[in-house]
Amino acid sequence: MSDKTWRMRALAAIAGVGATAVVLAGCTTTPEVEPTQEVVDAAVTIAETNEFTSTNSNSATGNLDINGIVAYLTQSGFAYVSDSYEVVPDESFGTMELVSEDPLQVKYTLNEGLQWSDGDPIDTDDLVLGWAVTSGIFDDATLDPATGEVTTGTQYFAYAGSTIGLNTSTITEVADDKLSLTVEYDTPFVDWNLNELIDQPIHVVAEKAGVEVDALVDTILTSPRGDAAAPAPVNETLKAAADFWNTGFDMTALPDDPSLYLSSGPFVIESWEPTQSMTLVANENYKGDLKPSFNEMVIRFIGDSQAQVTALQNGEVDIVSPQASGDTLTSLQGIDGVTVNQGDELSYDHLDLTFAGPFADQNVREAFLKTIPRQQLVDTLIKPVNPDAEVLNSQLFIPAQAGYADSVANNGSDAYAEVDIEGAKELLAGATPTIRLMYNINNPNRVAAFEAIQASASEAGFIIEDVGREDWGSQLGTDIYDAVVFGWISSGVGNGTIPQIFASTGGSNFNRYANETVDANGEEIQVTTDPDVVTELTQEVDAELFADGYGLPLFQLPGINAHNERVDGTTYMGNQTGVVWNFWEWTVTG
Amino acid sequence: MLSYVLRRIGVSILIIVAASFLMYTLVALARDPLEDLYASNSPNKDALIAQRIEWLNLDQPIPVRWFNWLLGVIRCAIPFGGCDLGVTIQNQEVTTLLARAMASTMQLVTGAAILAIFLGVLVGIISALRQYSAVDYTFTFSSFLFYSLPSFVMGVLLKVFVALGFNDWLASPVFTWPFIIVASILSGVFWMVILGGKAPRRLMVFAASVLVTGAMLYGMSVTAWFLDPSLGPILAPLLIAAFGASMVLIIAGPRARYAWRTAGATVIVLVAAYFILQPFLPNFELWGVILLFVVAGVIGGVAGWFLGEYDKGQAIRIGVLTGLLGMGVIIFDQYLQNWNEYITNPKIRGRPIPTIGSETPNLVGDFWIQSTDTFTHLLLPTISLMLISFAGYTRYARGGMLETLNQDYIRTARAKGLPERTVVVRHAFRNSLIPITTVIATDVGSLIGGAIITERIFAFSGMGALFNNGLQAADPNPVMAYFVVIAVFAITFNFLADLAYSAIDPRVRVK
Repeated sequence: MSDKTWRMRALAAIAGVGATAVVLAGCTTTPEVEPTQEVVDAAVTIAETNEFTSTNSNSATGNLDINGIVAYLTQSGFAYVSDSYEVVPDESFGTMELVSEDPLQVKYTLNEGLQWSDGDPIDTDDLVLGWAVTSGIFDDATLDPATGEVTTGTQYFAYAGSTIGLNTSTITEVADDKLSLTVEYDTPFVDWNLNELIDQPIHVVAEKAGVEVDALVDTILTSPRGDAAAPAPVNETLKAAADFWNTGFDMTALPDDPSLYLSSGPFVIESWEPTQSMTLVANENYKGDLKPSFNEMVIRFIGDSQAQVTALQNGEVDIVSPQASGDTLTSLQGIDGVTVNQGDELSYDHLDLTFAGPFADQNVREAFLKTIPRQQLVDTLIKPVNPDAEVLNSQLFIPAQAGYADSVANNGSDAYAEVDIEGAKELLAGATPTIRLMYNINNPNRVAAFEAIQASASEAGFIIEDVGREDWGSQLGTDIYDAVVFGWISSGVGNGTIPQIFASTGGSNFNRYANETVDANGEEIQVTTDPDVVTELTQEVDAELFADGYGLPLFQLPGINAHNERVDGTTYMGNQTGVVWNFWEWTVTG
Repeated sequence: MLSYVLRRIGVSILIIVAASFLMYTLVALARDPLEDLYASNSPNKDALIAQRIEWLNLDQPIPVRWFNWLLGVIRCAIPFGGCDLGVTIQNQEVTTLLARAMASTMQLVTGAAILAIFLGVLVGIISALRQYSAVDYTFTFSSFLFYSLPSFVMGVLLKVFVALGFNDWLASPVFTWPFIIVASILSGVFWMVILGGKAPRRLMVFAASVLVTGAMLYGMSVTAWFLDPSLGPILAPLLIAAFGASMVLIIAGPRARYAWRTAGATVIVLVAAYFILQPFLPNFELWGVILLFVVAGVIGGVAGWFLGEYDKGQAIRIGVLTGLLGMGVIIFDQYLQNWNEYITNPKIRGRPIPTIGSETPNLVGDFWIQSTDTFTHLLLPTISLMLISFAGYTRYARGGMLETLNQDYIRTARAKGLPERTVVVRHAFRNSLIPITTVIATDVGSLIGGAIITERIFAFSGMGALFNNGLQAADPNPVMAYFVVIAVFAITFNFLADLAYSAIDPRVRVK
């Protein structure tokens, strides 16, 4: 299960990168319009690992990558994310404009004539529902953290994404033609451009919940914000809508009622043979620019990576995204006519130090980090799969992002570029601290990392104690370890990352790390809308983290996809959308 | 007897309940469902953890969760009780998933099990009759070889050589001369050792097999038979007649006139049916085909009844088998005639043997095309599963046969001057099946457990996938559903095996 919704994570990947906000805010150039091409009567078959379960990939139960991929094919939005992690506006759907910076006002304008696949218009009513869902603004529940149960108040939409930002916003203005609305944030919010508002069709949610669309819109626009301290009585209209939204789109077979799988995007679900395949066909009501050059997409569910490879070789599928491993790569490269795309995934492994015990001392931290054989780890673990792999040198950016190069040049990571045993010995000055290093014993990469670190650090005089365990996850933040190697997904979530991981109060700060500059910058980034300033502040934090000897990023995991001669135009994409991200650019021979 | 049955059922229920508690606890402890969230850097991590704790009731102690689960399961035992096996983490009804998984697994394993039992027993008996001969050693060697191949290796080998190899070859289906020569010689050796006999007879069998096989392969090659195959108006009647003759020879022996008459009459009707049915067969659906088999069986039976003279029972058996096998030839020929349409279908693109799944998505076609599609998809996993379980059956059948052949009553039968065929088929064969019945019954019980690895390799989402995915996600409900079904089947079939044993073998009595 994923941590955030696919769209949020996809968008979050670029957060912190300045270009994004500019593109959305000011720039009005339309993306290059492709020459209109003939639509070939052909089906492209792609292999996916998991079975589809829900047309609502934003809900807690529907939050799976495969559901997100189907949603990507069947839902339009104001923007999409490219393989270089830039947010590209899709002006054939509508625009998001920054109207005023303080107070932060964002105007959403939908193009005229947009329709759901059942012919119902896409208008601001749908955005209002999306706002209610993604802002979680009416929740006034107090949760018992131990049981997850509501003790007082009401929890409405079980939204799987983050509500930060929108949860202090108001819809201030809705145009009479129902084509534009304005959202005003109480405080400026850095990631305003990730809030697309468009979600499920409100006419379906309202009908299934047994309420009128107008009544629902009215309730959302007029109800006061939820306040957990003073819970309001249950809002029945909203509760009915939320109850349906939470689980009503989950399915085990294609429902008889087509309103449960409506499309606003280029494709619409045509049929689904559970456990076997799902077929999507071109959506006749789609008016946007992201039209594919073929009229049918078949998703086949193949769990085993090697089976995906043979299926590609046998012509049963055209595109595969198997789990990356040396074996998979070798067998893919051995097939005639198959093109392999490689790159880095968004997840990366990193080494963190606990700021207590032996590592309370800055010198010990630096000495330990100097012994980490990062290049060796990349060479032995990652290069067999991705020959272009490099050591990751930033805690906050990934190489695919624009801010990475600058940040690496100035963040002091070069001090740890090479293993420096002598330097470490000097810093230790004869001391032999015992370090308890925790890792996941079920993950071969982490075991290899542990062994390499142990061998290297021992040379400098460290005594490395093996506290690797299976339930390492639940032990994070405890004092049974001094250092830990594990992975984080969505690197470079910049704007959410600093407060969450590195701030002294961060929910994922397991290391008792506290740095005033980091805290201050983290807070400031949250209320900054100028992307250049955000990048600058983030780079400052990056440098602070290396100066403090916080830990070291190690490497990004390698990713892989491949296609046969029938299809052309795919690229490598590291986020959860995967290879389908540019389906409208694919060319197919019948 | 009744008290024995009731006692067994009572004990079985207690075993299932106790085992389910054990299993539930193990599954709940096997993985931490919150593991991925603990290490998350998502801003709404706490909310996600709370959501999942509530969804899976992780705040309750394991015995309480188990008890709640059990309350839902108990209702499955009551007709219309509203069966509730819970939902998965993704809010999928487990009952729906379970039904689908069982159907898919049954589809996958049924054919393999039947073939394995049939071929295993057949090969085992031939091995026993030719004990310590080349054929015995060859069968023993190959059955152990297949037995010891891990299923993932077997799956990959089949995919590479059978699917990819055949599909690539089909682009220009020509046999090379070395292939024809080697295949012919192998076939000659095979039939020579199987049929046995004195040196001149062996030589004749060898020469005939080499010639026939070589001519057949050459003919298939030059006519591109594999692109548009059919048996044709000469081969099909010959094949029907051959089946009739072999039924007579195996069951009644060459001197039974009534048997020849029965089989002959049935064959004549079926050959006529072959020609009459040709224009109509393309329009037949599944039920029509089943009806044809029923009619063919009935015709054989009627022929046996009227022509059976002093041994009507035997004659009816011969008639029915001849009828069914003959109709099998007619239907098989119809499939062959549709083969070309299948491989030229735009969804197939000339590569008929698939490596994954149970169907070609969006394939349009009539009954013959659709069922050909199912056959091609089942081909590789069926071969894979069959070869692996086949070894066990050959051993049991061989052992059982050898033991029976050494019994006193077999010696008596031989001393009476009964022909060897009668001794083997009537006296030895049936008694040698007693021990293997038990093995088969328990094996059938465990079949539904699926073949986790084979399923995964061939992307057949059955019981194995249900179990595996559930375990990966630390999601107890699908795993428990799997467990309950497996447990019920295993216990039931063990029980049935005990009962069957007492029914077959008069020396065994249950009390």
